[in-house]
Amino acid sequence: MATESHSAAAPAHAAAAAHADPSAHAPQPSAWPILLALGIGVFATAFFLVATGFNALPLLVLAGILLVLIPALGWATTIAAERRHQDPNYTFAILRRGFLYFLLSEGAIFGSFFAHNLYIRFGHATTWPPLGAPRLETSLPAIGTLLLVLSSFTYHWSHHAFIGGKRALAKNWLLATIILGVVFLAIQGYDWGFLKAFDKFTYSQGVFGSQFYWMTGFHGLHVCVGLLFLVLVYWRMERGEMNQTYHFSLTAAEYYWHFVDIVWIFLFFVIYLL
Amino acid sequence: MSSAEVALAAAPEAKHYTGLLDWLTTTDHKKIGLMYLIFSLVNAWVGGLFAGMVRLRLYDPNWNFIKPEFFNQMLTMHATVMIFMVVMPAFVGFGNYLVPLMIGARDMAFPKLNAFSFWMLIPPSLMMYASFFTVGGSAQGGWWSYPPLSGAEFSPGAGESLWCLAIILLGISSIMGAVNFLVTIADMRAPGMGWMQMPLFVWATEITAWLLLLAVPILSGVLVMLLSDRIFHTGFFQPGLGGDPLLYQHLFWFFGHPEVYIMILPAFGIMSHVLPAFAHKPVFGYKGMVYALASIGVLGFMVWAHHMFTSGISPEAQIFFSTTSLIIAVPTGVKVYSWLASMWGGTIDFSAAMKFGLGFIGLFVIGGLNGVVLAIVPFDIAVHNTYFIVAHLHFVLFGGSVMGLMAATYFWFPKMTGRRLSEKLGNWHFWLFFIGFLWVFTPMHILGIEGMPRRVAFYRPEFTDLNRFISLGFLLLLAGGLIFTYNVIHSIRHGEPTPEPDPWKINDVQQSLEWMVPSPPPAWNFDEVPVYEEG
Ligand SMILES: [Cu+2]
Repeated sequence: MATESHSAAAPAHAAAAAHADPSAHAPQPSAWPILLALGIGVFATAFFLVATGFNALPLLVLAGILLVLIPALGWATTIAAERRHQDPNYTFAILRRGFLYFLLSEGAIFGSFFAHNLYIRFGHATTWPPLGAPRLETSLPAIGTLLLVLSSFTYHWSHHAFIGGKRALAKNWLLATIILGVVFLAIQGYDWGFLKAFDKFTYSQGVFGSQFYWMTGFHGLHVCVGLLFLVLVYWRMERGEMNQTYHFSLTAAEYYWHFVDIVWIFLFFVIYLL
Repeated sequence: MSSAEVALAAAPEAKHYTGLLDWLTTTDHKKIGLMYLIFSLVNAWVGGLFAGMVRLRLYDPNWNFIKPEFFNQMLTMHATVMIFMVVMPAFVGFGNYLVPLMIGARDMAFPKLNAFSFWMLIPPSLMMYASFFTVGGSAQGGWWSYPPLSGAEFSPGAGESLWCLAIILLGISSIMGAVNFLVTIADMRAPGMGWMQMPLFVWATEITAWLLLLAVPILSGVLVMLLSDRIFHTGFFQPGLGGDPLLYQHLFWFFGHPEVYIMILPAFGIMSHVLPAFAHKPVFGYKGMVYALASIGVLGFMVWAHHMFTSGISPEAQIFFSTTSLIIAVPTGVKVYSWLASMWGGTIDFSAAMKFGLGFIGLFVIGGLNGVVLAIVPFDIAVHNTYFIVAHLHFVLFGGSVMGLMAATYFWFPKMTGRRLSEKLGNWHFWLFFIGFLWVFTPMHILGIEGMPRRVAFYRPEFTDLNRFISLGFLLLLAGGLIFTYNVIHSIRHGEPTPEPDPWKINDVQQSLEWMVPSPPPAWNFDEVPVYEEG
């Protein structure tokens, strides 16, 4: 039932169906999409109330987070289950294309921040970094960069090992990737704390601070999401939910992690070195 | 296609919900498409009544029951609602309904993501409308929301922040929808259907989806910065902190001009179906149409600063953006001439859909020619921010996009419902819209050339007569809208039944697959997936 008949004459509206029951192809209903949209709406409202100084009910914030996380997980589980009765190569191909296009749009959001930074620097500001902004210390972030680049490799090796059937090795490399990601975040956090405490460098003191904290912060948020993604993959490996055919989450997490890595390389160059 | 040696699990029992629960949980692209269209119709009434408030105030600026602040809110929200909650969702609705049918697919590539894209419209829409009830009311800064006007200093209320947040959330819906269309068109075409065999509406949706995918994130990014400036007091667009408001304009219009094409390219696609269908001829110049669509899409990213000729950009930049803007007239002209050639020598059936199609050509060409003269810097500087611009953009967006949507509605309504819209009411609707449109928007050219600024709740006494004339014309559009809405609601139940696959009898000239399945199509679209010969 899962693959389609290719025997019809072109283009056909033949009443005579080769299949016993074409209604089996009707799409299945799902409550996850509407619940996720509701969750994002609740979460955004709660965020808005907190950010503009209202006292949002803690319950509202909690409800928002739960209404995002539960449908997201439920949805992912449904997709994994559905793929078991669809052509796996085909579903893999369309999921991959969809995910890559999504990353392209993510890249465009980062692009708007890069465009802002470069325009201000080369088209607007008279001195750079602007007066009052510190010269950024590069050695620690450089180490972070190296670790993040290394983590892209460890993830790749994990993927490779998994495809080759070496499950234990794959798990170890994945664990190494997660640790490297956490260390990267720790270095970033330390860097932020240092800049704030000793250099009195804040996001509201000038345009450079705004760019610095938003760009590194927005990237850091992506690292956090990427880490969640990696943990999910680790958990699925642990439970044996993936095999040589069904491992889209492994591939998607790899694309995501490489994406986060590449964005960081640009960021490091533009913010710290240039 | 299935090379895997994996034993596939049997599909689970199909779930069936009925009534409201069915609509809330559906992943059927046709139902989702219909929900998009209903959403658009409802919001069109809200956005239309906002425009009515604007015209009411301008009938006599001494009537102060519409305060200038409220006038600004109406003006801002009219544009916001019409762009983001009417025209864009309406085209996505038609795309949703038609693209899978036209390419011989059983659904979109990601049916659940599709449902999510639709439901993701609801929370931001509620935020938009809720913003009227905050202190200071909704956003008042116009739909461009330029800082410093939209900054915390001049727009201190919560309305502007809610506006930013709502547009960012609507962006999630648009981006996910774009991903879905791109994957669907790339990977779900019927076996053997090549790219150059796709119907032109599918091509228009493909190019539109690319524009959405690459332009909307820029808007999201720039509004994150604006919102951050407002809430966290960052300095992205604040001159005192080293930021630059002019940069906001650059980034906004880098999204904003492609956005114009997001709202017109699908209408181009619709025209390429409607006009040949009622001339009973195949479409003329298919390849040229495809290349024209693609080049408009690419050029659309290189013209943004033609919105900024008076904002203080260098003369070199003015010349560059003026030139690229003029070049866009070439592929657009290719399309118009191809439509004319598609009808040339045909036997034309003046159905309501065809009337709207012909109306589209006339009005859109006027709007397009206005655009050409506006691309010329000295002329633009003379009429910048006057009613000439208001006339131009409505000729393109109402005369173009909305007329296109109306043509599509009369054309595909029988496919979607199995019943025809009343042609008699359609005739009334068309003439009320066509005459009402010209009545309202043609005089705005004169007001603009004479120097009446847009977005202002007052005007000099010599503009009184024309403004009153324009405001009266609004009633014609209102009557047209009422007739259309009645026609839709009435015909869903009582229209002439058209259960046959091809109610317009066009299968011999237009082999678009949606006309080969029953009306309305079954949930699985095709009993047998069609197969194309290679080539
Ligand atoms: Cu433009």
